[in-house]
Amino acid sequence: MAIQVSGITKRFNDFTALDSVDLEVKSGELLALLGPSGSGKTTLLRIMAGLESPDGGGLLLNGEEALGLKPRDRQVGFVFQHYALFRHMTVFDNVAFGLKVRPRGERPGSAEIKRRVTELLELVQLSPFAGRYPAQLSGGQRQRVALARALAIEPKVLLLDEPFGALDAKVRKELRRWLRKLHDDIHITSVFVTHDQEEALELADRVVVMNQGRIEQIGTPAEVYDHPASAFVYEFLGQVNRFDCTVEGGIARVGDGALAIPTQGGVQGPAVAYVRPHDLGVTPASAGPARISGIHVVGPDARIDIDLAGLSLEAEMDRERLATLGIAAGDRCAIHIDRARVFAR
Amino acid sequence: MPADTSITAPVSIPVPPGRSALTEPTWVRALLIVGALLFLALFLLLPLVAVFAEALRRGFGAYWLALTEPDAVAAIKLTLIVAAVSVPANLLFGVVASWCVAKFDFRGKNLLITLIDLPFSVSPVISGLIYVLLFGMNGFFGSYLRDMGVQIIFAVPGLVLATIFVTFPFVARELIPLMQEQGSDEEEAALVLGASGWQTFWRVTIPNIKWGLLYGVLLCNARAMGEFGAVSVVSGHVRGETNTMPLHVEILYNEYNFVAAFAVASLLAMLALVTLVVKTALEWRFGDELAASRH
Repeated sequence: MAIQVSGITKRFNDFTALDSVDLEVKSGELLALLGPSGSGKTTLLRIMAGLESPDGGGLLLNGEEALGLKPRDRQVGFVFQHYALFRHMTVFDNVAFGLKVRPRGERPGSAEIKRRVTELLELVQLSPFAGRYPAQLSGGQRQRVALARALAIEPKVLLLDEPFGALDAKVRKELRRWLRKLHDDIHITSVFVTHDQEEALELADRVVVMNQGRIEQIGTPAEVYDHPASAFVYEFLGQVNRFDCTVEGGIARVGDGALAIPTQGGVQGPAVAYVRPHDLGVTPASAGPARISGIHVVGPDARIDIDLAGLSLEAEMDRERLATLGIAAGDRCAIHIDRARVFAR
Repeated sequence: MPADTSITAPVSIPVPPGRSALTEPTWVRALLIVGALLFLALFLLLPLVAVFAEALRRGFGAYWLALTEPDAVAAIKLTLIVAAVSVPANLLFGVVASWCVAKFDFRGKNLLITLIDLPFSVSPVISGLIYVLLFGMNGFFGSYLRDMGVQIIFAVPGLVLATIFVTFPFVARELIPLMQEQGSDEEEAALVLGASGWQTFWRVTIPNIKWGLLYGVLLCNARAMGEFGAVSVVSGHVRGETNTMPLHVEILYNEYNFVAAFAVASLLAMLALVTLVVKTALEWRFGDELAASRH
């Protein structure tokens, strides 16, 4: 089912959470709403579910006007950030809840409910835990119960609020892959909210980058990473070196001419240049303008802190390359930049 | 002075057996324990024992007679009636008020919380006087009520009203922090899953607060049966008609009928004991669930 958001605005007192947001979620896709806290992403998700009502704008679920519908009539599955499992019910009863509360005419028989819940618990690999209470489960297991519970009502759309936010790094990675696989199997239109750019880029078909109640960019993970539409998107997606510079004749000059970066596009005058750490090249040079202030090896990669006339920069390379360069903290070096993105200031 | 700061071999300090560095000397511990126990015995246990001892001083026969004479039976009945009306009323009110306060934001929320606490901060005698001023013969609605032929003060309705007022906060006070801590995530989840508001309330909200609720009701009941001050003002002390148990005890005592006074008092003491036992049993039996509902 497709979702169409048009001109949605939401204010909380003086704070504008959403400022006339337009968005189309295509049927069957997995879409990420990515942004820092306070960017409005969770509010947008809650408006789609009917848990919040906007001050203006329209929402179509599968072509039908949905703002007048109660949450229960929207046929959406919602996974809450902290799961919101019913603490006094077993895993089985949690998953069965959505079926048991249906009006008498639509309610499946208890044998049918049992069959469906068993099936879902198999899907989320929790069959042995049907009789446990939420408090007796690990974070990852609770997350999967929440997912099974949301899927039990056979929703047309699945909405997930920071689905991996409360999990530790390893479980988060596993669950991320598992969710992607699940989505590939059942192809339900899904929207998830996250502030973790790595999660959004790895998991989603398309990423919506949000900032201060507005959408900055919509695109595939490769598009938003390689071609950020704004300075905000560039800074938000991944590590970045930021230079205040002046552009003249296609050359961005940093500081007192310590660094000259070739640029594309028609930006002239005061600007900001962004360079990814892996696009920043380092060569040892005894009379170079920069100094290496520290080297941190993290697993297979090395992060190099560089001091360029008072400006702190960060470069990234693999360990083998670091070894061939033969540089150490305190050495002087030259830097060169292959790729930079310049935005007018 | 590098030579002075060189590291020497670690010195091991022998710890006396049976004593770690974190415990106090034996005499200090003994003093504290004995002191606490003496205090408890003197101020809590002794009066309790005294009540039963006084009540049974002339033997079990006199004790039984004091409890079964008509005025005592009337007082016991009246106390039960007052509690049977005011406890459910406050149960209902407490749930509704804490639901409003914990799950919704509205203007005047702080005022409501303050008002709920009012009976705790006002002397019970004042609480009683308020109702006399409102509903008494010369009170605000006095002449109207007289014309209608309704008597509130010096009758059962007044006793119930005063008791409701005094026991107002017990259930709400117990539930508000509990419900605030639980938030409304589970209710929202239920709504999205297709439950109606009614279903959400009965299947999600109530099960989550049931132990807190029981606890609040227990305390509310203990106070409703034991209340003296407010009830004393509105009762009029008509023997066999408007005397609750605490009032009956006072009358008997003032008549130097000590055995009867303490016999009725022993019933109230037993109520307190039963309340404590049930409360402790609840905590012991359902401690995990109580903790889980607050986790």
